[in-house]
Amino acid sequence: MTEIGTELAPIIREITQIQITAYAGAAGDFNPIHLDEKFAKTTQFGGTIAHGMMIAGLVSELIATSHKRTWPESGKLKLRFKAPVRPGDIVTAHAKVKQIRGTELTYSVGVRNHKDEDVIIGDATVAVVVE
Amino acid sequence: MPLDYVNLSIGDVVSCREFVLDLDTVSEYVAAVGDRSNVFEPESVSPMVPPMAIGALSLRGVLDDLGIPSGTLHAGQEMEFLDSVLVGETLKCRATIAQNSVRRGVRLVGVKMDVVRGARTIVMSAKSMIMVPA
Repeated sequence: MTEIGTELAPIIREITQIQITAYAGAAGDFNPIHLDEKFAKTTQFGGTIAHGMMIAGLVSELIATSHKRTWPESGKLKLRFKAPVRPGDIVTAHAKVKQIRGTELTYSVGVRNHKDEDVIIGDATVAVVVE
Repeated sequence: MPLDYVNLSIGDVVSCREFVLDLDTVSEYVAAVGDRSNVFEPESVSPMVPPMAIGALSLRGVLDDLGIPSGTLHAGQEMEFLDSVLVGETLKCRATIAQNSVRRGVRLVGVKMDVVRGARTIVMSAKSMIMVPA
């Protein structure tokens, strides 16, 4: 039985530059802030950072793991990117039920880095299959 | 050629592309993000595309057409998944400007994307907020 406050098992991953580079190729996003250390050093971040969509993918993976087919068929995601994720960061994607309305569940979702800083915050809503 | 962001107005169509989510493209995406949700099962007869892959791979064409300048940042993302998509399907992504404003020296551009199967079935609707150096 899902209740308000129920948490999904978090996903914990280390983010590497190899992964960021692979994502750039897969997603066709070659912004130098993600790939070019020399360029990235001149920016406010002082080095390369991961693509926001790559990290957001962890939130989607987390919800999909629990809700299977209903996520691709009815999922809603609203995210704010609060802070950069750098190569070497260990991030944790988390989700906690914050609202149950009819057959819809809304999770408070997010991703934190190993310094316990929020890097992504937001909500995810998904329909629940009634057996 | 990069777009002139200053003159973009709400409703302007900035990208309209058709693309196929083939097995190689989706497999490359799943390997890159390390998705272990099992939504994507490449050995099945009709593998399903992970929903974020639809978003990221739709955004790919939009980024090309926007010609975003170096240093552009992704500030926020909204996505609504309306139907599952199978590997091999042809989709069309239409992107329009939803917001274009300058705040504290930073241009905030909202891009709305509708990803459609066939004539009118929207499979995903999304809005990306990007911060472009003003």
